[in-house]
Amino acid sequence: MAVKVEEINLAALETQLDRICQGCDLYNSPGCNPSQCLVGFARKVLSFAAQKKLLDIPGASRLLPAQDFKPYYPEQVAGAIAETCRQCRQCRDNHSPDCVIALVRSALESALLQETIDYPGSVFLYLARIKEQHPQLAALLARELQKGRT
Amino acid sequence: MGEGYFKQRNGLIAVDIMAACGVMTPEQWAGLGQAARENNVFRLKMTARQTVVVLLPEENVEKLVAALEPLGLKVAPFGKVVRPVKACPGNQDLCPRAIADALGLGIAIQEKCVGQEVPKDFKIAVAGCPRGCTEPQCADFGARASGQNRFDVFIGGRGSTVKPVHGVPLARKVTAGQVMQLLDFVLERYRNLAQPHERLCQTLARVGENQFQPPAELLAAPEEEASEFARFLQGGGGGN
Repeated sequence: MAVKVEEINLAALETQLDRICQGCDLYNSPGCNPSQCLVGFARKVLSFAAQKKLLDIPGASRLLPAQDFKPYYPEQVAGAIAETCRQCRQCRDNHSPDCVIALVRSALESALLQETIDYPGSVFLYLARIKEQHPQLAALLARELQKGRT
Repeated sequence: MGEGYFKQRNGLIAVDIMAACGVMTPEQWAGLGQAARENNVFRLKMTARQTVVVLLPEENVEKLVAALEPLGLKVAPFGKVVRPVKACPGNQDLCPRAIADALGLGIAIQEKCVGQEVPKDFKIAVAGCPRGCTEPQCADFGARASGQNRFDVFIGGRGSTVKPVHGVPLARKVTAGQVMQLLDFVLERYRNLAQPHERLCQTLARVGENQFQPPAELLAAPEEEASEFARFLQGGGGGN
């Protein structure tokens, strides 16, 4: 309630996701099935959030298409995860896994890591956790976030 | 139903005054101040239940109380009743951390239930975020926001006494409307199951939590957004 979906730059997230799609072999092909694709899921989340003006979609985290085994690469996905960090409102204790930003991040983590990271509601703590578990991704995220500053 | 008048050791009378979960307009504050000045009030004290206790000589009580009604204020009920509701300022306009309208829910509960008779005092707390500033797990019935118009509900908490008790979860992610229904359900069960003067936590310990298990329709997590999103996910208009 404190944060409204209009305050989130959904377009910036969408741009990053579109880049991932453009690098996909199935892009614009009959084989593209967004409901079975993690990036497609993330884009659907953004589209639904924009249409319904929702920041939280209760239960949506359970619909993550975990059966998407297409290959994704850290360099390809890190920019989009970094954008979720930029858009995160750092709700800390109020963090919801069904928050639109969290849903996109979880989908991207699953795409890359085949697992989701328990998000602590804080970008700093999240990056520290990533650094502990996935130093290579942490370095990429740091680089991407640095880009955003310049 | 008892009312909040208490004789003090110094002979003054303490009158416990309630507003909308502790929220007053400037007119109410100023009016109460004016009535306090005119009635020889010694002190005003904010209470833990978000009421105001006014200390004044006995002969002035009637006149002070008469001044409350035009201000939209009341003497709080006391004794074996549902007490004034404690709610945080969580809503869209006030607390920046709120994720649901706790104040609106608290006021609605208070308007409906305050003063209802129960076997022992019954305290309600509503919080607009998981921080739980109003300590909903320390109330007989507590609602704590867990999402947009979603609340987790706890029952059987007791914050004071030498044996404080944390409430047990009754429902998760229910709507404000369901919270109201759950409260009706819990109050009814409490009246039916409690022994005289037994606080809800003691009734729960004696008869077991199962006796307070609400019917499924009160617990059904409202997932209309999730269902709608599931349909949206399966529908046309892909990610590309």
